[in-house]
Amino acid sequence: METLSETPWDVIIAGTGLAQSLLALALSRSGKKVLHLDRNPYYGGSEAAFSLDEAQEWMDGVNQRGQSPFEDVKIFTYQHPQDSPQSTPSQDGSESSARPAGTPDIRANLAASRAYTLSLSPYFLYTRSRLISTLISSKVYRQLEFMAVGSWWIHSPENPNVEDCDLGATRAFHRVPGNREDIFADTHISMKSKRTLMRFLRHISKSEDEGDVETDEDLSMPFGEYLSSKFSVPQNLHAPLLSLSLSQLSQQSTSATYAVPRVKRHLSSIGTFGPGFGGVVSKYGSASEILQVACRASAVGGGVYALDTGIQSLADGDVTADAEYPVEVQLSSGESVRSKVVFGSTWDLSEKEQLSPPTKVARSISVVSSSLASLFPITVEGAPMAASTVLMFPGDTLSSPQSPPVYLQVHSSDTGDCPREQSIIYGSVSLPGPEGHTLLECAVDRLVRAEGPQAIVLWSMRYDQLGRLSNDGTPPTLHTHSPHVFSFPPSSLDLALEDDTVDTVKEAWTRIVGVEVDHDDFMIFDDRDGASAE
Amino acid sequence: MSDSAGANAPKPSSSVKLVLLGEAAVGKSSLVLRFVNNDFQENKEPTIGAAFLTQKCTLPTRTIKFEIWDTAGQERFASLAPMYYRNAQAALVVYDVTKPSSLTKAKHWVAELQRQASPGIVIALVGNKLDLTNDGGDAFAAPEPENESVGAEGDEATDEAAEDTTPGDARKVSTREANSYAEEESLLFFETSAKTGTNVVDVFTAIANAIPESSLKTGRGAAGAGQTALGGRSGEDSRVNLGERNAATAKEGCAC
Repeated sequence: METLSETPWDVIIAGTGLAQSLLALALSRSGKKVLHLDRNPYYGGSEAAFSLDEAQEWMDGVNQRGQSPFEDVKIFTYQHPQDSPQSTPSQDGSESSARPAGTPDIRANLAASRAYTLSLSPYFLYTRSRLISTLISSKVYRQLEFMAVGSWWIHSPENPNVEDCDLGATRAFHRVPGNREDIFADTHISMKSKRTLMRFLRHISKSEDEGDVETDEDLSMPFGEYLSSKFSVPQNLHAPLLSLSLSQLSQQSTSATYAVPRVKRHLSSIGTFGPGFGGVVSKYGSASEILQVACRASAVGGGVYALDTGIQSLADGDVTADAEYPVEVQLSSGESVRSKVVFGSTWDLSEKEQLSPPTKVARSISVVSSSLASLFPITVEGAPMAASTVLMFPGDTLSSPQSPPVYLQVHSSDTGDCPREQSIIYGSVSLPGPEGHTLLECAVDRLVRAEGPQAIVLWSMRYDQLGRLSNDGTPPTLHTHSPHVFSFPPSSLDLALEDDTVDTVKEAWTRIVGVEVDHDDFMIFDDRDGASAE
Repeated sequence: MSDSAGANAPKPSSSVKLVLLGEAAVGKSSLVLRFVNNDFQENKEPTIGAAFLTQKCTLPTRTIKFEIWDTAGQERFASLAPMYYRNAQAALVVYDVTKPSSLTKAKHWVAELQRQASPGIVIALVGNKLDLTNDGGDAFAAPEPENESVGAEGDEATDEAAEDTTPGDARKVSTREANSYAEEESLLFFETSAKTGTNVVDVFTAIANAIPESSLKTGRGAAGAGQTALGGRSGEDSRVNLGERNAATAKEGCAC
């Protein structure tokens, strides 16, 4: 093939986010001629992963061009005290002066740019999520490596162990009990509280076992009220339980309708693929790696890929002109291509209109000069060493009880995101702009300080991101722009990918394949070892 | 009984991701086809889309399972290769010994790999279509750039003298030129013929041997991985094996 316009296409997909990449794979394996484009010179769109240099380039692009789901990107690089009297930018500098001046600390240096894979969407997957079963049924998982997401931690500023240096970063955090054994072993919870917790957990697992017998249960109240009124769970345990739901709203604003099924999801996922963990994260950039593996598998299925090629404009519906391929697409490369159908996100289709204003959150990525090893304990015999962990800062620990919680996900070097002896902190708070950025900075600073003077934020990036949160309520669906042009909902901003992303992909796939194939066959492929000789 | 159990004890098996790069029509797919199926197709159609093949290579102490990614003609859109060589442990950069421009293209790929791919990537430079030259059968093969033998040096000089003068020889890229470039860049170097099979298996064996033990992973999805990590922080031991619940999960998922 010499040019893209040589043949008409069954489907043109714009943007290489996770949803589009899964759709490209599904359709190419259903025998469709797929042209998969991305206007960026890299894969992943808002779910891409970058080296340090690429992050810098990306920031310059976003801040200059606009027209992307990102705003207000800033990068901060640590200046060694001996290099500059200004010491740490964006921090008060007291931690740098705590180190004897002139002591060379080799670990306190950034490695080469490419030693880092910084993910714009570092979400993890619950082991029982639909994406995991899709990756397995499509055999795509064979090209991926997954690491366990280990403990959940709650920030408690007045922790009595604050003098004990052996505890490292965990001095400022309580581990959230994730199962009955954890609750029994926990020394911070009173016997009485343990009983209430057990009652709540039993209630949740019961309705799970008995096929949701209690679906008519009244869940319309806030989660905290639900815990107090139905199970007498004391106040101090509300935040830990809320953290298991990964709700990005404050306790008051999170309804039991939202939190209860997600706490269930958390508890029921543990043990699926091994003891001690219920979530997994893909090595080398989380979502970015998964979607690239999907694109690769799609290319093997016949999909054609062109990066740095966006949709300039498109014309749909001229049924008389070319009934079979009604959509004419002008590419940024100057080429003109025809297709039966076009899919893309709102941004990829260069639509100006926004259907419902997307949610905006503040996020941060920080490279830390410490492995933060104490955050990755092995808590169950035979459990794999976790490579990721979740820390929640309830609103009142940083600001006020009405503030949304700040979540930090720490990735160890086992995720392939950073060199050994360093770690990456991904922060997220559903409060955009300077206020959110300050909360993120504050949370990261508390974690790093708790670890000790050897821990320094070597590099960090903060930005606002537009997308959707599962907290928003309405499940996302495909949007029909014109009879043959459809757009995907914006990317998920959740910390764990919700099943609705795969649902919209299946919806899109079903639209194209129609009645040709059994819809139960979605993403179920045989092994493609091809000519593999044993 | 006990004897056979000992003898058949499986060797450690590792997966190696290998990406195939080079100008169109230099014989990339044919090389892989020869390696994987010991087969050759005259006038093979250009590969459409991309290809993924696997082949095992048994070494004295271990088994290497190559996962071979062929970007197959999509290079013109410059879109697949970066994704393919990301995290690849080995790359096969192929040129055609009868086409000097293909070596230029190969050098471009080598430079790009050195700039963008994993720092420890093993790169093999392969001059294919040796059957079209006069030295068809006994080809040049440098086992590894480091331990290059003196004998090869001599052969090479005579080869070159012969190939430049003999009429009817389609060779346009001398062994010396390509080999000295490979040495400069610390690449493995071979001349092959996918058609006759000369040196093809040797290329893959040399790559398998050159991959440092430390960068080898136990086979993805191999039983047992991901269960035993009580010791120090070791990414290899703590990988989670999604294959374990394969059947059950596939059944209950997706059939919504």
